[in-house]
Amino acid sequence: MRDREVELSRDTAIALETEGIDVPVVPGRSSNLLRRSLRLGRTKVGLALVGFLVLIAVLGPLVAPHAPDAFVARPFSAPGTGGAVLGTDYLGQDVLSRFLHGGLNILVLAIISTAIGLVLGLAIGLAAAYSRNWLDDVLMRAMDVIMAFPQIMLALVAVSLVGPKNWVTITAIALTTAPRVARVARGAAQPVVERDFIGATEAMGMSRFRIIGGELFPNILGPMMVEASLRLTYSIAVIAALAFLGLANDPNGPNWGTMIQQNQGALATQPWGALLPILAIALLTMGTGLIGDGIARTAAGIDRERGDE
Amino acid sequence: MTGSGQQRWQVNERPDGLWTPSRRGMVMGAGGVAMAATLAACGGSSPSPSGGGDSSGAAGTPKQGGNFRLGVTGGGSKDMMDGQNIVTKPDQARLMTAFETLLTFDDNYQLKTDGLAESVEADNPTQYTIKIRKGIDFQNGKPFTSDDVIYSLQRIGTQANGLTGFAATATMDIKNIKKIDKYTVQLPLKSPDSTVPQTLASYTFGMVPVGYEAYKGDPSTQIGTGCYKLKSFTPGQESVHERNPNYWRGDGSPWFDTVTITDFNDSTAQLNALKGGQIDAMTDVPAGQVDAAQGSGIGILNSQTGGWIPLCMAIDMPPFDDPKVRQAFRLIIDRKAILEQVGNGYGQIANDMYAPFDEGYDKSLPQREQDIEQAKSLLKSAGKEGLSVDLHTTNGASGMVPLASVFASQAKAAGVNVTVKNDPNYYGDSYLKLAFSVDFWGTRGYLNQVQQGSLPNSPYNETHWPPKSGTGSDFESLYKQALAETDTNKRIDIQHQMNQYEYDIGGYIIPYFNALIDGYGSNVKGLSPSKGTLNLASFGHGFRTIWFA
Amino acid sequence: MKWLRGGGIWGFIVRRVLLGILVMFLVSIIVFAGTQALGDPARAILGRDATPDRLAALQKQLNLDQNVVGQYFQWLGGLLHGDLGTSLASQQPVSTALGPRLVSSIVLVVIAAVISIPLSIAIGSYAALHREKKFDTIVSNTMLALASLPEFVVALLLVILFSTSVFHWLPAISPVPPGHRAWEYPDELILPVVTLAFAVTPYVSRIMRASMIEVLESDYVEMARLKGLSERTVLYRHALPNAIGPVFQVAAISLAYLAGGIVVIEYVFNYPGIGSELVDAVQNHDIPVVQALAILIAGLYVLLNLLADVATILVTPRLRTRL
Repeated sequence: MRDREVELSRDTAIALETEGIDVPVVPGRSSNLLRRSLRLGRTKVGLALVGFLVLIAVLGPLVAPHAPDAFVARPFSAPGTGGAVLGTDYLGQDVLSRFLHGGLNILVLAIISTAIGLVLGLAIGLAAAYSRNWLDDVLMRAMDVIMAFPQIMLALVAVSLVGPKNWVTITAIALTTAPRVARVARGAAQPVVERDFIGATEAMGMSRFRIIGGELFPNILGPMMVEASLRLTYSIAVIAALAFLGLANDPNGPNWGTMIQQNQGALATQPWGALLPILAIALLTMGTGLIGDGIARTAAGIDRERGDE
Repeated sequence: MTGSGQQRWQVNERPDGLWTPSRRGMVMGAGGVAMAATLAACGGSSPSPSGGGDSSGAAGTPKQGGNFRLGVTGGGSKDMMDGQNIVTKPDQARLMTAFETLLTFDDNYQLKTDGLAESVEADNPTQYTIKIRKGIDFQNGKPFTSDDVIYSLQRIGTQANGLTGFAATATMDIKNIKKIDKYTVQLPLKSPDSTVPQTLASYTFGMVPVGYEAYKGDPSTQIGTGCYKLKSFTPGQESVHERNPNYWRGDGSPWFDTVTITDFNDSTAQLNALKGGQIDAMTDVPAGQVDAAQGSGIGILNSQTGGWIPLCMAIDMPPFDDPKVRQAFRLIIDRKAILEQVGNGYGQIANDMYAPFDEGYDKSLPQREQDIEQAKSLLKSAGKEGLSVDLHTTNGASGMVPLASVFASQAKAAGVNVTVKNDPNYYGDSYLKLAFSVDFWGTRGYLNQVQQGSLPNSPYNETHWPPKSGTGSDFESLYKQALAETDTNKRIDIQHQMNQYEYDIGGYIIPYFNALIDGYGSNVKGLSPSKGTLNLASFGHGFRTIWFA
Repeated sequence: MKWLRGGGIWGFIVRRVLLGILVMFLVSIIVFAGTQALGDPARAILGRDATPDRLAALQKQLNLDQNVVGQYFQWLGGLLHGDLGTSLASQQPVSTALGPRLVSSIVLVVIAAVISIPLSIAIGSYAALHREKKFDTIVSNTMLALASLPEFVVALLLVILFSTSVFHWLPAISPVPPGHRAWEYPDELILPVVTLAFAVTPYVSRIMRASMIEVLESDYVEMARLKGLSERTVLYRHALPNAIGPVFQVAAISLAYLAGGIVVIEYVFNYPGIGSELVDAVQNHDIPVVQALAILIAGLYVLLNLLADVATILVTPRLRTRL
């Protein structure tokens, strides 16, 4: 789709971009983007959701009443049994404590793998846009090839192949995130590259790295921030799905995805073990999605709350 | 106690505390099994009420009809159908639809002669004579004769065929099996082996017709003597089996018109399907969900078997090459907590020895209890304080992964850091090569089990037992003595010596003997608990003793 | 590919097809190389029962001792002739084993697409026509929230709600028996289809809404109105055809995305499609099946993108004229 020989208008472009489809976007000024996007209700709600769940994930382990692997009462005991406020799970461990411990792993893995994917994709995308020659075609064709494999499929094959290790999950997700980022980065950078001031700086004898880092990058920060939140949303979903399929690093490690898998069978009698992590993942991904949308709207200068007529 | 005088595990019974296997002792069955010499070696034969299949109890009169839909987990596209071979649990179920063995085990895991053989007699320590029943036909009408018995045994005993039972034929002189007449076969042995009858009763010793081959796409090749005939089979998904109208027992069985066996990914989907009436029975209800399942009207078949999920320490690999470390690990584990957590209480505490139904099982050895302090001091004297080990496991049988996780959590108290590795390729890539791993076993007699897992040439020797020198190095010669010993008491003495070695310095930690907990719909009748190896009381004794109300 | 411009609509299509073929060729190399690393399939198949004798017997039976490069071209040649090889696990031809599963998966995806895409177009258009009104605000925000939910979370919530815990209206699982077609069990299809629809509808409807707003504000719609055409004619004859272009792009991407998403959905519902087969094949190290599925899913992605590009060009009058 890189070869899109079509031009899309602003409103459509934003919508497409929000879904991670590369479109040539007229770069907006990046300064204060996050702050300005906070005027939007959806960004506020998104930030509140993400903040709340990050708080649980980070502080949860400190306030959890039990160790996540402590035997508290018989498996799937009702709330209140043996000091387990929300009951016990499939191995008789405290559901609340495991929930409080269970967010950090997903969050850290998702952030690391997304960050690597972003950096990698950004480097490839900028290099492609800047080169304006055969390298562009080669890089982007290579990205097309990787993109032909759905993220969850590639991650599943990799993890089943090498074993459920953290670095495998991170590598698989970073690798599948990069091409999607690269396309957006390239799409956003291309119009900037075409503009005069890049040629001028080149003429001034500025090094390529300084041009890419100092001139190109700041101009595409907006689309990149949108992309970052979108990719983070997908990374969380894939990591949680892998854990749900039983492919987490530690089979009994407190992890929201694993918890769902282990406790979903008892939903009828002891729902908390599965319901809490389901809701947590749902709210977290919703939050990152809302933030991304807010930034996208702000970056494009559309501010519905102010009215844009 | 039921009418038969046998102790039966009641449905839903949750026995607590220590357990001593109940046995009727050395009574020779009036139900007269003509294999005195043999049975002396196999434990008391008990007359079962009317064949191993009687488990209907007060369930009423069987009646015909219906499609019995069974959901089984653990399968996949590698599913197969073979009268003498299995890889997955659905394979076990499918084998049981069509194939029968010469001898059988009853629900108390006692040998019976209500299979295809009238008798299996030891003529002398190295020769058995097998007499088969007259008038039994295969599902295609071909009579079952000596030639089929010889073909069946030789098929298993041919290494290149790669069948499950091959290792168990080690003592048999397969090439020289002799046909005496149409219904009599002489089986010579290379060395004395009193466990031959138990071997012949193992479900992978199914009798197949001359020229038989495994399923390769044509259902009509799967001809056995059993209750149901294969109609269609899609590996990883489903098989349909039709009633064999000419089944030889002549008691009206089998009862269902068809049996449908469906593969499931996981127990949650299975349980949901059973609740929703999409299937009639399922294997392996997760222990933690038994109460909930019962609450929603599902019948639970709780069979206390001799199955076990051991932690396996390879005795020749560090750190477990030091007996002190093995001893320390046996003291780290809290067996009661594991039974509660992993088995939800459904099972019996074990004592690091296997084959609890065998009369040679040494109950006199003291029950091991958790002793963290002693474990710590043992590790200290071994110079292994702050030890870190990887514990490898996989979703092979229910409980394998949770057991590893719970042990890892218990080990922290002794300052041992256990990292659980849940590897989907465990059995493919690293099995038997690991220092510390989890495995699973079903009910077996002691000597059969030793042959499978505890000898230098055993196919599944995870612990690399026995030691090559020093204490315990005479384990294999003791095994051979026991095989050849026809005096029960003397054999038990030998087995106690073997038990002692394994208890003291062996590589297994056996926390508990697990129950097989299966679920069934309220209209399914005829199921009652069994000590046998397979789920659902050996799948309703080959789908013969169950019916719809 | 800038040297390949021009040629009108056909030139465009030819370019896209050639590009697709190139991508598929590279995909085939990656798939082949990647699956070579899967290890010894005989061990994986036998698993616990891999005794040396059974292992040797199976390895011989599977002919696993061939040259790698030769294997690739043999495999590629087979692929081009529609021969996907023989499954190591089931010993059936891969096409025989995968055929019915592929049909089941396609049924699922197609029903989901047939329901969700027109629905999305309707929702998006309606929201655009009633911009900033109550319906638009509610729908927009709902869609935005739904768009972020992982499929397995949606699937589980639906099962909790409609099958096991709250209501008991629908089957919790969908095991279509072999020899039967998925559409023979409509009640079992509902929840998986709804899950897929939940994954697609938010995206497509948002794009439709944005695209529609843009078109409605464009000069030529304004012109059409000024010409005195009825609002109905303006909408159906002028606005809709121009607004629908980007929808194809997003619908294609969503459907290609579903090709991955069904892995988890089929697992949750025990649905016998290619997604659940992939999980199984990877664990069995069933190389021919993994290869076939990877090629299929990647091919689907390339094909859908191709179709979307062509469709976009064809239905969008103002783009057609530019070629």
